[in-house]
Amino acid sequence: MEERGEAELREKLARAAQLLFFKHHAQPGARGWELKRALGRDYEKILQVLEEEVSKLGLTIKKVSEGGEPESDRYFLTLKGHPTLTEARTFGWRIDDLAMLTVALAHLLAKGGKAPFKEVEGILEEKFPKFRVEPTLERFIRMGYLSEDEQGILYVGWRTRAEVDQRALLTLLLGREVKGETPQEEPNRSGGSSQSSPPPS
Amino acid sequence: MRRERRELLLRVIDLCESVRRNELDPFEVRVGEFLQRLRELLPKLRDLQDLYLDLQALVGLTEVILRQGEWIRHRSSLLYLDPLLISLKVQVMSPRELAEILVEAWHPTVELEALSLPALSEAKEYWTNLPPLEERRRELGEGEGGVGELPLEELQRMGILRREEFERLLTELWEELKKSAGEKGVSYWRFISAPTFEETVRRAWLVSFLVSYGYAGMELKPLEDDLLLFPYSSPQRREESMSVPVSLSEEKWREKRGRERRG
Repeated sequence: MEERGEAELREKLARAAQLLFFKHHAQPGARGWELKRALGRDYEKILQVLEEEVSKLGLTIKKVSEGGEPESDRYFLTLKGHPTLTEARTFGWRIDDLAMLTVALAHLLAKGGKAPFKEVEGILEEKFPKFRVEPTLERFIRMGYLSEDEQGILYVGWRTRAEVDQRALLTLLLGREVKGETPQEEPNRSGGSSQSSPPPS
Repeated sequence: MRRERRELLLRVIDLCESVRRNELDPFEVRVGEFLQRLRELLPKLRDLQDLYLDLQALVGLTEVILRQGEWIRHRSSLLYLDPLLISLKVQVMSPRELAEILVEAWHPTVELEALSLPALSEAKEYWTNLPPLEERRRELGEGEGGVGELPLEELQRMGILRREEFERLLTELWEELKKSAGEKGVSYWRFISAPTFEETVRRAWLVSFLVSYGYAGMELKPLEDDLLLFPYSSPQRREESMSVPVSLSEEKWREKRGRERRG
């Protein structure tokens, strides 16, 4: 009897992992109701067990609520930690693109989560090549980091809600010391780095 | 005296209502002063209607205090930042520093793409039922030379277009190009873009004649994914020429129109 229960649990864990890992339609992850249909009413408990399993691989299950019923929440598998800048570049990201996304998100978050496309574009154009700004913003919209409505208003997209720790982003942005024009002292001469920019806790 | 009391109550209710409708900053309402006035007023109120208004005013003021609390909570939370402060901060940071910030707050989703068994089975069925290429070509009625083109003379012979009419259309578009392009030229997509896809195709078709006949020139802008279109004051004879294929689909038109709308 116990063996049957264990086998059933294993089967459900495998099914949950498949649902979360594989992309369905355009978006990754699965909605609460999809998990409930596949795993039963106790799908949240199955996810707790799966969380323990995937955490051994450096992954975690992230729940993103869209403000409706709990069953419409979307569950994603994300990295538990964060990649390094070098790793991010191997994912196909340019430093300029990452920087543009930082600026766009910071501006949107400071404006309460939304701002006109033109406004965000204008801010980015002050710092980045003009011809790259609009196509990059459109790519962010396609990827889900940003969303745009019919009136040309930009919002924080579903992928940002799933992947970016927004509070940490703003804290890091405000807490980071700006590296000045003066050349950085070499650690071996000063006995340590002259830059003290640890992320605030 | 009674009228004045009622007016005061109604004024307080009205102010609170404005705050509720987000028409007034909650800090514009002098809550303390109004509460003091209501306290002084209460012993003098005899009429049931006045007492009811007093109650309404009091509830309204509590709502204003609630709004003030929400405002303070929002402003003091980490997620409230002055956009100006953010703007100043990003201006002095290098792209690398900005990229590092995102990366440190970033936990990318893990996603895999895989074919499912039903999808594989569907693909197999499609492949099995797909007729050979030769057969499909015959069905489409394509000759060996592929899709041909209808020259202007053929269109005239078929009665679709008259030379005078065509020349008038070209001249009109040339004049329009001269007006809108100025000395710097104009974006090709911006110029041909029209409210409907059909009209956009028509304009693109006419522009191709303007360029072929030397009424206008084109410059490729590969980094901007655009072409620069500039008019000549008189038709130019070209020693060398090159073809520029421009693909125009409804999807591309929508995308470009979206940019036009914003721009």
